[in-house]
Amino acid sequence: MEESVTISTPDHVELKFEFAGLGSRFAAYLIDFLFLLLLMLLVGVVALLAGVVSSTSLKSIFAGESGWATSWGVAVLIVFVFLINWGYYVFFEGLRRGSTPGKRRLGIRVIRQDGLPVGFREAALRNLVRAADMLPPPCYLLGGLIIHLDPLGRRLGDMVAGTFVVVEKFEFASQGVAGAAWAARVQQGLSRQALTLPRGALSVHQIELIEQFIARRHSLYQGRRELLLWQITEPLLPLLGEDRDALARDPRRAERCESILLEILAMTQTGEPKGNRTTRETTQPSLF
Amino acid sequence: MQSAEEKQVEWQNFYERVQTLLKEGPQSLRKLSGAELTRLIDDYQTLIADLARARSLGASPSTVDQLNRIAIAGHNVLYGEIRQQVTLPHSQWVGHFSRTVRHHAWAVALSAAVFFGSAIASYIAVQLQPSLGYDLLADAFLDFDPASEDNLHHIPSLARPVVSSAIITNNIQVTLLAFGLGLTAGIGTSALLIFNGIHLGSVAGWMTLQGKEKALWGWIMPHGATELLAICLAGAAGYLLAAALVAPGQVRRSTALKRVGGDALVIEIGCMAMLVIAGLIEGFISPSSIDYTSRLAVLGLSLILWAIYFLGAGRAHLR
Repeated sequence: MEESVTISTPDHVELKFEFAGLGSRFAAYLIDFLFLLLLMLLVGVVALLAGVVSSTSLKSIFAGESGWATSWGVAVLIVFVFLINWGYYVFFEGLRRGSTPGKRRLGIRVIRQDGLPVGFREAALRNLVRAADMLPPPCYLLGGLIIHLDPLGRRLGDMVAGTFVVVEKFEFASQGVAGAAWAARVQQGLSRQALTLPRGALSVHQIELIEQFIARRHSLYQGRRELLLWQITEPLLPLLGEDRDALARDPRRAERCESILLEILAMTQTGEPKGNRTTRETTQPSLF
Repeated sequence: MQSAEEKQVEWQNFYERVQTLLKEGPQSLRKLSGAELTRLIDDYQTLIADLARARSLGASPSTVDQLNRIAIAGHNVLYGEIRQQVTLPHSQWVGHFSRTVRHHAWAVALSAAVFFGSAIASYIAVQLQPSLGYDLLADAFLDFDPASEDNLHHIPSLARPVVSSAIITNNIQVTLLAFGLGLTAGIGTSALLIFNGIHLGSVAGWMTLQGKEKALWGWIMPHGATELLAICLAGAAGYLLAAALVAPGQVRRSTALKRVGGDALVIEIGCMAMLVIAGLIEGFISPSSIDYTSRLAVLGLSLILWAIYFLGAGRAHLR
């Protein structure tokens, strides 16, 4: 099984989809299995409480002693349980763009081979032929093996329906402004360039490192953040002409390092220094 | 020049707008005004351009990944309603089932041959060697006492809804297995057909030996044509999948499976509908006290109707 598949859209953009692993698919299956059991239990309990059925219903129906309500009630209940059992996946995947409650928990979903969400047709196909993938029931040994061997991570049902299971989980927050800064610049037709500082040049990779650290710094706990700040800033100090030893002893070292990094980033965006000068100590030799 | 913050906000806004549309469901685009739709498409195009630039100029993986995911959401919204297969208008579904069955007549013939072949073989075997009955029959059938001379079961009318729904769900479950197990290269489908064929044939052989055959046929006739035909069709759906696996032709096996999947599904769904009809007859008409002639009449009628349907329906709409 490969890691991902690239699908070309009509706009000639290549969308990359990451396949869901065997582990998360199986975990989703377990959650759905539990959910299915709960659902059936709920239907049973509701039917009991509503007085539609009782433990002696079947006996009294066949003895001809119950009413028609009980008889039809039990008949409908049988159909209902069957529908939940076989329709659960079809219903959820068809209605909710390929995700069941279990898949949703795990952040995965089913898509068609052209990258679009599945409809009822695909949902029905991949789930009604489940019997083969489940062999020997309920272990999913055959399905699991085939997922493992297929480059596109499909079980037999996926092949019949023409579907993939992919990762969807997506956090917007921590991506940060850094990437956007660069893209805004690229939009003007300028690509990222190395930056010249007073006593040397910063490579593209060093700028990238600073960008990624700045974007994520608030998700790090304090001790770690200060350590990384120092580790990243220290090699840059000679380029800037800063006094390394003086800064190392500075009680507000972390803050100063951060403002240095922010200032470097500001320069990569505009090509000239800007930024929050008020946080800088003016007693030190100026950076620029 | 756009600042970094503006760009980030632009992406985030687009993503949120698309997420709302996705949550509203497939009809959400129709509710937008012309101007809103145009703007959405413009923003989508800006975004995929950003993505393409980010990729080709080597932006950081996290930026590319973020843009990729936003683009997927946008793509799903804008293209989600365009279906590649031509979907049939609802009025043509009835003809579509019969047309699909005709198109794969070989699979139906194979399935029927396996099912009825094993039924006839076991019928003859029990006639020739009656002791086989003890091996092949369930204990309940060995000393079975028919309800009357021309019917096996008489079910009190109060219990008929329950019996009917139990039969329908059980039969559908069996056909779903026959369908899905086609993916075991047809081995599972064949096993199911043979197993059910032997059950039918050996019970029939045993009852004939005991002189109770009229009761058995009286019981089977009203629903038999519909039910047995549906079982053969489910077997055919399974064999369609099996054929794609065993002999895919010039394409990959997965491609062959995908091509035939739609037709197999149509046959399986039609077969489920037939089993609902069969189950209602088996629950309400077969166990009633109608006489042998009426039972024969129901059999004849259902045979004629199915013959007309499968030979004639859906021919006018050929594309």
